Amino acid sequence: MNRWLDRGITLLLLALLGWAGWSILHWLLVGADWSVVTTNLPLYAVGSFPADQRWRPLLWMAALITLTLLTLTGPKRGWVRRWLPLVWIAMAPLGLWLLAGGLGLLPVGTRSWGGLTLTLLLTGGSGALALPLGILLALGRRSELPVLRWSSAAYIELMRAVPLIAVLFFGQLLIPLFLPPGLEINRVLRAVVAFALFAAAYIAEDVRGGLQAIPPTQREAAAVLGLSPRQVLQLVVLPQALRVALPSLTNQAVGLLQNTSLMAILGLVELLGISRSLLANPAFIGRYLEVYLWLAAVYWLACSAMALLARHLEVQLDPARSAS
Amino acid sequence: MRQRRLLVQVGVAALLIGLLALLVNNLAVNLIRTGLGLGFGWLGRPAGFALAETALPYAPSDSYLWALTIGWLNSLKVIAAGLVLATGLGVAAGAARSSNNRLLRSLAAGYVALIRQVPLLLQLLFWYFVAFLGLPSVPIGGLIRLSNQGIQLLGLNLSVEFCAVLVGLTVFTGASIAEIVRGGINAVPRGQWEAFRSLGLGEGLGLRRIVLPQALPAILPALTSQYLNLAKNSTLAIAVGYADLYAVSDTTITQTGRAIEGFLLLLLSFLLLNLLISGGMAAFNRAVLGRLNRSR
Repeated sequence: MNRWLDRGITLLLLALLGWAGWSILHWLLVGADWSVVTTNLPLYAVGSFPADQRWRPLLWMAALITLTLLTLTGPKRGWVRRWLPLVWIAMAPLGLWLLAGGLGLLPVGTRSWGGLTLTLLLTGGSGALALPLGILLALGRRSELPVLRWSSAAYIELMRAVPLIAVLFFGQLLIPLFLPPGLEINRVLRAVVAFALFAAAYIAEDVRGGLQAIPPTQREAAAVLGLSPRQVLQLVVLPQALRVALPSLTNQAVGLLQNTSLMAILGLVELLGISRSLLANPAFIGRYLEVYLWLAAVYWLACSAMALLARHLEVQLDPARSAS
Repeated sequence: MRQRRLLVQVGVAALLIGLLALLVNNLAVNLIRTGLGLGFGWLGRPAGFALAETALPYAPSDSYLWALTIGWLNSLKVIAAGLVLATGLGVAAGAARSSNNRLLRSLAAGYVALIRQVPLLLQLLFWYFVAFLGLPSVPIGGLIRLSNQGIQLLGLNLSVEFCAVLVGLTVFTGASIAEIVRGGINAVPRGQWEAFRSLGLGEGLGLRRIVLPQALPAILPALTSQYLNLAKNSTLAIAVGYADLYAVSDTTITQTGRAIEGFLLLLLSFLLLNLLISGGMAAFNRAVLGRLNRSR
């Protein structure tokens, strides 16, 4: 009886899969028109960046891809390994310089930034701001000083209660209201700040989970060895806590990359935003499915690459591995 | 040492208050400059915009407060339906991952892997523009009628926007719930499976009566945070034009320019929603733990 049920389920699933596969194949052969993707590849990659300057964002993305492959294939040479983290950190200022210009390059306004480049820059920029802020908040929430503990907890809980789109919308609207008149910061920077303020609250909770996982004996042992409280935190507690928190931090990073798509609602032309304006173009009217499939593939690749990198880092940092 | 701690706290407090004062001062200067001021009197004024979907009678001549209430009810509607459907889908997919049927198992794994790596907003746009607006008009058995104008289900009329948001949220959250359920099921010792099998119970019955009840204490806390995520993610409804709380707030703020008051109201409404969800889940959690303890 059970075996018959099993066979029935298999047959039903096979029929469904066959039907879905047939419809997709039919659509690919007859219905799909990929010109909306193929003729607009530069737009998806760099947005409306000036044509003669496109090599700058492209160069940056090529560097990112090379670095990702280099890290994942795991070079055996010691010096390459030693330099890789530094090169990764240098990618953020390098990207900013290549995009914004200055220092010998033609300046390009943030209005012309767009596409995948802007998506990656928003992710990287807000992540780089949110991580230190999140660590500080986590430490604050576990502090013995009540004022510090309460204010950190209040910030974290409040931020976690509101939807991201509201934070982003009010970031665009309210940040100018809270700044002295005359001081203006541009839309991309406002978006990065709002993203970072939001993500920091979630990162703080993940780091706090990591901190809680470190047994108190570690602290005591380090203190007995004569380390100052700051050294205990910096050399013993935080490195271990961050390693424990790494898997959930990876999820946050992937979530951050996905959530940059929300800026499309607020009018930035990152990957999803540029697609929305392309779909409004009469030449490509109704080509929703092609564009969305293409975008899903790009996001899927980017998210998977990030998850792979984090998994790689996890293995590298595993104490059982480095001890052997 | 104690003096130093006190000093640090006073320092932190002074810094926070100073920062707050600076921000508030800037705000006051800016509000005077734009001539807006703060207040909630505008809530009673007529909203002047129409809403496509209203649970209670509403006309554009009604007040902003009433429009926001309608939005809140619309949010509540899609969240409540989403919670139920996402739980069903998530439990089914999570259980399917420990099924004996290899095809079912890999299908569930593929679903989770695909959905979790694609942004929710993109998925919502797909469901709205491709899946629901592309629907041909097909009656199914007289009771259900699908078309790109909406879905009629046993006399219930569902708008396309509502359906797109509901399906998008369900499919997206279902994948996360599936992972939680799988983790919970894996936490139940293998001996429990072997025990009910040797007692002659079927797989489905054993899963429902033996394994899932024991997995619940591990599942519930993580489930609560997924429910809260679903509630927060429902605000993306604005992208497909569903008149939820956030969409109505957005229109209200654009019309009145009352960004600060609008933000405070939105914050309050979400705190209320979160309290409803986490309060309900806490009560459920207590009931489950109590039953488990009694049965031991």
